[in-house]
Amino acid sequence: MKILLVEDDRRASEYLAKGLRELGHVIEQAFDGDGGLKAAETGSYDVLILDRMLPRLDGLEIVKRLRATGSGVPILILSALDEVDERIQGLRAGGDDYLAKPYHLEELAARLDALARRQRESGSIGKLLIADLELDARARRVTRAGRKIDLTAREFQLLEFLMRHAGQVVTRTMILEGVWDYHFDPKTNVIDVHISRLRQAIDKGFERQLLHTVRGAGYTLTEDA
Amino acid sequence: MALVIFARSSIARLALLHGILLAAAMVAVLGGVYFVTSRIIAAEGDQLIALEAQGLAEDYRDRDLDAFVTAIADRAEDPWVRGGVYELRGPRGDFLAGNVVVLPELAVQPGGWAEFEVAVTRGDANASRQIRARVVELGGGFRLLVGHDIQDRGAFRAVMLRSIAWAVVVTVLFGLFSGWWLGRRIARAAHAIGDSAGRIAAGSLGERLALTGSGDEIDTLVSRFNDLLARVESLTTTMRAVLDSTAHDLRGHLNRIRGAAQDARRTAVDPAQAAATEAVLAEIDRLGTTLQGLLRIALAESGTAPLEEVNLSAVANELADFYQPVAEPGQLTVAIEPGLVVRGHRQLLAQALANLLDNALKYGRGTPILITARRDAGLARLEVRDGGPGIPAEYRELATQRFRRLPGSSGLPGSGLGLSLVAAVARLHQARLELSDAAPGLRVVLSIPLTGLTPG
Repeated sequence: MKILLVEDDRRASEYLAKGLRELGHVIEQAFDGDGGLKAAETGSYDVLILDRMLPRLDGLEIVKRLRATGSGVPILILSALDEVDERIQGLRAGGDDYLAKPYHLEELAARLDALARRQRESGSIGKLLIADLELDARARRVTRAGRKIDLTAREFQLLEFLMRHAGQVVTRTMILEGVWDYHFDPKTNVIDVHISRLRQAIDKGFERQLLHTVRGAGYTLTEDA
Repeated sequence: MALVIFARSSIARLALLHGILLAAAMVAVLGGVYFVTSRIIAAEGDQLIALEAQGLAEDYRDRDLDAFVTAIADRAEDPWVRGGVYELRGPRGDFLAGNVVVLPELAVQPGGWAEFEVAVTRGDANASRQIRARVVELGGGFRLLVGHDIQDRGAFRAVMLRSIAWAVVVTVLFGLFSGWWLGRRIARAAHAIGDSAGRIAAGSLGERLALTGSGDEIDTLVSRFNDLLARVESLTTTMRAVLDSTAHDLRGHLNRIRGAAQDARRTAVDPAQAAATEAVLAEIDRLGTTLQGLLRIALAESGTAPLEEVNLSAVANELADFYQPVAEPGQLTVAIEPGLVVRGHRQLLAQALANLLDNALKYGRGTPILITARRDAGLARLEVRDGGPGIPAEYRELATQRFRRLPGSSGLPGSGLGLSLVAAVARLHQARLELSDAAPGLRVVLSIPLTGLTPG
């Protein structure tokens, strides 16, 4: 992926750029709001990482201006402000995702993947398919190898979330935010238990396992593992 | 409702005191007038009797006895036209003339005064008249009683007493009314200030009270109150700004440290070095979690978190549903009344409840956990109860303070911020937080005001 990173904290920017390059991404850096907006307008990127508070031009202002010109590039806002209410502001301004500092590189990378993928696949709704697992979002129906699987409303939402991010790593935080809209960290391993319940429902009795744990990062739903 | 408020308010006391003071003053003044007037009237009446008695005594000395007796008898005729009573007795107590027969019964020394009643027949009616009389020694053992009808004096006094009583009643009523009217003016201003203070405490810091423009003491008070509000608003804004910039700064630093540590971890070749950086990363994450916890508490306590209508029943049900798989089968019992809507912050409420459920699962160790929510006198009463060891009474206050952990819980994971966040969120929502003994276990009750109902 080609990523524009607009971050005024040079050292943080360097660490992040280095980490993302090691993951195979192409990173271009800008260190203030003006430079960031100019680069975003002239260059072509798969995804933008914007710090919330930037010198000369505020991160949210860049988002608004880009959206005003009709740009649909996925934008992830990084912020050192409390994310509960700031997050809503960031998303209202036109941001696609919001991550608070200090972040884990794995978390950020997973979110970037999700953003870029969503951009490519936007418009494909209705039936989701992975191997012989099928989810019909309209009929709220899940089958595996043609056999109907009964899920609770929440399990269905969780599976739909995982299937929309099939082949990518989703973190526990992403699941908490995406499925439950919770922006805090439950101290117990609640997400793991929900995942293992879902795994029981969709993978038990099948030779090919679809729902996998990615150590130190999260989970992934994929047929090639 | 208004009457209840009135009865409880200081206006009622003020009005009552005002009425009582006015009445007391009235009683003192009118009582004085009554006393003096009665004295003057009585003195004048007595003087008339004394003069008549003196005149008759002189007559007795100047005339012969027969003429004197006749004169007394004349006077005694048709007594009620003149209102005089007379009784003349000889040296052996024999009745000589007069229109009453009372002297033998009266134990009055000559020169003394007596009061008695005399029955009078007027047509068919028997009336009784009050008489005040003087007894004089005429010399030679003769005694004369001269008296006047003082019934009118009594009637006058009665009229006066009635007038005074009415005056007092009217004064008390007037006093109560004027006290109420005066008090209401003050109370209105006080209520306006109180209501605003309530709204301001609920987060509407930009609010100001309207001045009446009269420039009176109440206006001065309102103006001072507005100055105070401006100060509070500016302090809160400053505090929030300091909080935000400190948070921004700390998170920035932490982020750089984490970036460096993660970089070191990726490039580490030596396993010992890798383990060390792993430990550093874990510490940074713990620090990050603590920082976030503190910031959330500060956010809730600053009162600047935006509030909206939140369906507490839905939030509680979702969280119960969220934690259900972590609990043992049948461990979690949920009884939530639907439609409990409060003015609140959904994320902070959810996090507070999550902290309570986390605690119940952690310390309850498999004992039954009960989550209930119900309407209770204008409040949404949210309760989480476990059957664990509970919190001893002496530690309950301490448990809601930052970084305080109970003795014996050091083996369990936790930051010591869980209940402090719950307490801060409770304050943000003007809610009451109560920790009590569920015998066995801990019962935590959060009572949040429902929207559309202002308690009191």
